[in-house]
Amino acid sequence: MSASTATPSARATRTRPSDLARAQALTGWLFVMPTTVLYLTFVLAPVILTVILSFSYFDPMIGSRWVGLDNYARFFTSPRSLKIFFNTLQFTFFAVTFNVSVGLILAMALNRAMPGWLLYFFRLAFFLPVIIAAAFVSIVWTYFFGDDLGVINYFLRLVGLANVRWLTDSTMAMTSIIIMDVWKNTGFFMIIFIAALQGLPRSITEAAVMDGTPAWRQFFRITLPYISPVVFFCIVFASIGALQVYESIVILTKGGPGDATRSLSILIVEEGFSSFQVGYAAAISVVMTVIILIITAIQQLLSRKWVQQ
Amino acid sequence: MSSALRTVSAKRWLDASIIAVMVLLAIGMLLPFLWLFSTSFRLPSEAYKLPPAFLPPNLDLTNYFAVFDSRVPFLQIYGNSLLIAVVVTIGQMVTCTLAAFAFSRLSFKGRDALFMVLLIGLMFPAQVTILPIYLGYARVGLINQPIGIALMYLTSSFGVFLMRQFMLSQPKALEEAALMDGAGYLKIFWRISLPQLRPALSALGIITFTQTWNYYFQARVLLGRESAMTLPVAMDMLRGYMGAGNLSVVMAAMSMAVLPVMLLFLIAQKFVIEGITMSGIKN
Repeated sequence: MSASTATPSARATRTRPSDLARAQALTGWLFVMPTTVLYLTFVLAPVILTVILSFSYFDPMIGSRWVGLDNYARFFTSPRSLKIFFNTLQFTFFAVTFNVSVGLILAMALNRAMPGWLLYFFRLAFFLPVIIAAAFVSIVWTYFFGDDLGVINYFLRLVGLANVRWLTDSTMAMTSIIIMDVWKNTGFFMIIFIAALQGLPRSITEAAVMDGTPAWRQFFRITLPYISPVVFFCIVFASIGALQVYESIVILTKGGPGDATRSLSILIVEEGFSSFQVGYAAAISVVMTVIILIITAIQQLLSRKWVQQ
Repeated sequence: MSSALRTVSAKRWLDASIIAVMVLLAIGMLLPFLWLFSTSFRLPSEAYKLPPAFLPPNLDLTNYFAVFDSRVPFLQIYGNSLLIAVVVTIGQMVTCTLAAFAFSRLSFKGRDALFMVLLIGLMFPAQVTILPIYLGYARVGLINQPIGIALMYLTSSFGVFLMRQFMLSQPKALEEAALMDGAGYLKIFWRISLPQLRPALSALGIITFTQTWNYYFQARVLLGRESAMTLPVAMDMLRGYMGAGNLSVVMAAMSMAVLPVMLLFLIAQKFVIEGITMSGIKN
């Protein structure tokens, strides 16, 4: 910024500074125009409209009316929506915990010297699930999680174990969805942790090795504190994604058995687009967004604290 | 000295055994993909047969041709997915780069405030914008139009953020010299800044293409008609039509559906990983 304001005065002989500043402002507005217009149309205005909808009973035929907090009251008092809310939080808690911790363990395991082709192979294996659509891999996993014809149960029987009803048992279904989610997403966190670990100054770890510090102590005393901002970022990033979980559940269990695995996103689509309870669906999506905003705000506050230290 | 040697060789053993375990784990990670490709080559009558196949029993493409003979307009659906992904990718490369140039190189009134407002957009999930977009689209006739989805994603806060971060890390000397020589901002952008942006542009392009190819929530809500669908939604429907009888045809369709992103990844692994993790670290 200081550079760009200094330049015009340096070349004042050629063009008057005011002309240049005007040209700069004009170009600036021209360049941000497409993004600004699209952003207003497809993000900001819809968000504001959703908030307004959430306070109303929407009916395009009879006309909409303002209902205040009714939609929110309905969400927070109905046992069914609370159960679905709890499902989502439960999924988020376990998916985040395992995605981040497994990702960190994998990163520690891979953060060592190895030939290039091996590194390519590891990145391929662990990152491929990350980039292939959840909708695609979930279909494959429905056959892995099958009862009698399922791939996993085949191997369980092979070693003498009993079939597990991965998706049809209401206490097991959520666990199965979390298992698939960790398979799919942990590689993302692994890659981020590898990058963070490579920033760890070698002199410190080497000194610790020389002193004969045990490995677990090195991890808790040196490595973990050093990468803790990254760990925290990963927890926040994973939570925001997990709160929105949709297609993996739709495809694996359709929210069932019963409501055992139904998530907030599924409820939003069902209420908004099948039952046409648009105001109610809007309220649910606002609740989801507020949780995301709170999580992000906490992260911002804490990371500012870290930077100051 | 002998003890030092011993620790060195112990460390080497440890390294080797950890890598051996990781190789097994990595193969395990790939099993769903191996199963998907192998099943697509199995005879439909044997698709469910146990043991499951993790290596293709043959390379007969019958199941692949069967996809195109099915009730589902697979070619058109594939075309919809390609159209949306290509339009969105090109669109974001243009709009995000232009905006990022303005945010990082030009000073104008309201610049920083506007950027903050854009950044807030990173936090809004699709769930909180979809209802008004649906209602608006219903009014202007964009429901069941693949281009409607493309329109929604012609820009992204993330893309602007990514490109701006990259531009801020680039030296400005050349641009300032050109300005001294009397070049206009348009010329500077086109001739000097843009050529330097190639790595960031490919990262953005790859991320955007992958993301758009994979959209499900938005597509499921806005594109209900078969002929307007995209692959992620259509695969689930195809599975329903085929029933239990034709799993290998479903997997053949799926193999074709994952192909573009998978090829992108096999060829440009480094770019894909750097691009996608850039979103993580730079935040």
